[in-house]
Amino acid sequence: MFIASTLILFTACNSNNNQKSINAVTDSTNVAQTKTTNIDSVVNTDASKKEANGNQIIQKANTKQSVVLIYNFHVTNRCPSCIAIEKATTKTLDTYFLAEVKQGRIKRQILNVDDKANSAISEKYQAFGSGLFVTKVLNGKETTTDLTGDGFKFARNKEERFIEILKSIITEDLK
Amino acid sequence: MKNILILLLGLLLSYSGFSQTQIVGDTVISNNKSKLKVKVYYFHVKERCHTCYAIEENFRKTLFTYFQTELDNGIIDMYIVNCELPENQVLVKKYDAYGSTFAITPYKDGIDMKTIELSNWAYQKVNKPEVFVAELKSKIIDLISK
Repeated sequence: MFIASTLILFTACNSNNNQKSINAVTDSTNVAQTKTTNIDSVVNTDASKKEANGNQIIQKANTKQSVVLIYNFHVTNRCPSCIAIEKATTKTLDTYFLAEVKQGRIKRQILNVDDKANSAISEKYQAFGSGLFVTKVLNGKETTTDLTGDGFKFARNKEERFIEILKSIITEDLK
Repeated sequence: MKNILILLLGLLLSYSGFSQTQIVGDTVISNNKSKLKVKVYYFHVKERCHTCYAIEENFRKTLFTYFQTELDNGIIDMYIVNCELPENQVLVKKYDAYGSTFAITPYKDGIDMKTIELSNWAYQKVNKPEVFVAELKSKIIDLISK
């Protein structure tokens, strides 16, 4: 009886510790969310800050929930289609994923590939001009969908179609 | 006898009409239904970016370097289409091409086969022209050899 009680007590304490460690992860995640919520500001920060942000995103993605990274790459002199892709991406996020963006589960960056500060990320995605990439990060594993072709095909003259495609990919990646 | 002659003349004219090669800019359309095996399409908008031009350049380079004979003989038809012009809207709807779109349609026994959509591929490979050209060449060879 004594042994059984001790075992139950031990298990309960252990469980409590697990809960605490989960809370600790959640808290640190919240910190990361706060730091990464302001999307456009990331574009103007320096490379080290971006790297720190990236690490926080990966750290968050090591929890059981996936994080979705959206990258709109562009050059300095942009064409109407490239601008349309960015606008349609914004519209998609504002319309369907505002909560996930605020929670930090979706992180979007608009990056000029001509800016040297963005060379590492541009190289990683092989983005030398306009590009749209959606990356799911889960348990440190990244899975990227390249939507550049669909963007150029639909964003300007068939925006609703592009939004449907992007929405579908993001919804799938958030699962 | 006169009626037969008119009928023959009509058939001759209609046949030459089908096989006459249309060249508008660098768009090459032979409409040679008996020989045609592949239709290659590049759709673009009016206001184009560097990447869009680069895709067209790689596309032309592939066809003119490796498939000039097939273009001349009507085995390959090459379409470069402004998708924003009213006269192209039938093709635009058929190919779902509301912006820069790259597609290949195999053609067999007078019928369009299932279209291969290559827009995403084109944007992925456009900055590596040698890879773009080699892979497109391989895809087309595969289709015309069937």
